[in-house]
Amino acid sequence: MTRFLAVSNRKGGVGKSTISVMLAHAAAAWGRQRVLLMDLDTQCNASLMLLGGEGWEKASRAGRTIADYFYDRFDNVAGDEAVYIVNNVGDVAHPRTAPGRVSLLAGSQQLEDIQGELYLKQSKKDLHADAVALLVRSRMKRLMRHFGMDCDLVILDCPPGLSLAAHAALDMADHIVVPFRPDFVSQFALDRVALLIERVENAEQLASIPFAERRYACLPNCLTGVGHERLLIEQIALDHPLLATRLPVLDSIARAFDWDEGKKTMEQKYADALPHLRKLHAEVFAGTQRRAKSA
Amino acid sequence: MRKTKALSGAAQDAYFRRALKTQSNLTAEDREQLVRSLKREIAQLRLRLEPLPAGALPPPAAAAPVHTQEATSAQAQPAVPSASFDPFSPNVVVILRTSGRAAALAALAAIDREEHLRLLAREQRLNVGPDVASLRELRAAIVSAAERRVANRVAAAS
Repeated sequence: MTRFLAVSNRKGGVGKSTISVMLAHAAAAWGRQRVLLMDLDTQCNASLMLLGGEGWEKASRAGRTIADYFYDRFDNVAGDEAVYIVNNVGDVAHPRTAPGRVSLLAGSQQLEDIQGELYLKQSKKDLHADAVALLVRSRMKRLMRHFGMDCDLVILDCPPGLSLAAHAALDMADHIVVPFRPDFVSQFALDRVALLIERVENAEQLASIPFAERRYACLPNCLTGVGHERLLIEQIALDHPLLATRLPVLDSIARAFDWDEGKKTMEQKYADALPHLRKLHAEVFAGTQRRAKSA
Repeated sequence: MRKTKALSGAAQDAYFRRALKTQSNLTAEDREQLVRSLKREIAQLRLRLEPLPAGALPPPAAAAPVHTQEATSAQAQPAVPSASFDPFSPNVVVILRTSGRAAALAALAAIDREEHLRLLAREQRLNVGPDVASLRELRAAIVSAAERRVANRVAAAS
């Protein structure tokens, strides 16, 4: 059964795209999974990491992006979904016989405009604004789920903020990783995204949901080892489930996402970040399996 | 007639070492760390050639204006670290939330130096006023600041 894993936080610059791509590589290489990364962020960083600038531009010109997919298929236009996907992306080499691979539904800078257009199209039906938003989101959810047929794992790289596509992704994901930098404002961002994921209205209602039953787990990222990071992580752990993995600031992680055409092994690509990635992969993979079983 | 002498560089370092040596509660390692911190923050100091007689300065509690100035400048600059004191422990917000106000006050009661309490408040971003005089009031102000911080976060998530 296909699992849907979202990587989300309303706050920008917390490492969502980097972690999405790391997990995609790890799941394909070590989990031998067929992975599809769906880039819902109009910054398209994950697409640039996996295709490079020229590859992404080529996909955009060919109409092979998430915005094209939503726009073309919104009204049930028949056709082959596979035409929107770019296969075997990224610069990690997989043996020919290995089933694992990473495919990409590339991001688009037009996605926000397309969402607005789809919303306006639906609002002609005299529906209340909330109902229109719900309709667009439901349709987007169905369109996203459609890709699950040919994959073991779909990773949804969500944008910062709350677009209709981000809402749809959070609604449908089996498990959500919420990366954060341990700073003061991150606490607020985590509280808010948690309310949204668990579909509750305030901190009290959220507190009534046991950690084990929550769909999300928070991932401390970009740690530098200063004392107040520890302080904030301890405070955040009172309200939110945290992964045991802690990702430090490492040059090897930053370098891993400079686009390079040459294929590498995971060891070459991630260097001293490899142990952290192994731990993250094991932990997230266990989390998605647990969610899939409980569902 | 010259009443003060400017010290900088090696002479200033030697003065810091001499002055800190009179503090018997500091280890040699603490003293060296403090000298390094002071060197980073102080470019030059002026030493009285004839020290003021004992009792010439007002007691600390009466020195409110000076105190205010110190607190303001301390807020803008990094704290002088003490090798033996961890300003991130206890985590006041966590103790307050898990065990309540009395427990947070009890945890702070183990800290009996004003500079350590102020350092903890600053590093844990718990804003206390410069005019808090006693250790007891300082601890209460820290816990109250933690309560405001918690309330602030709950409000933002509503």
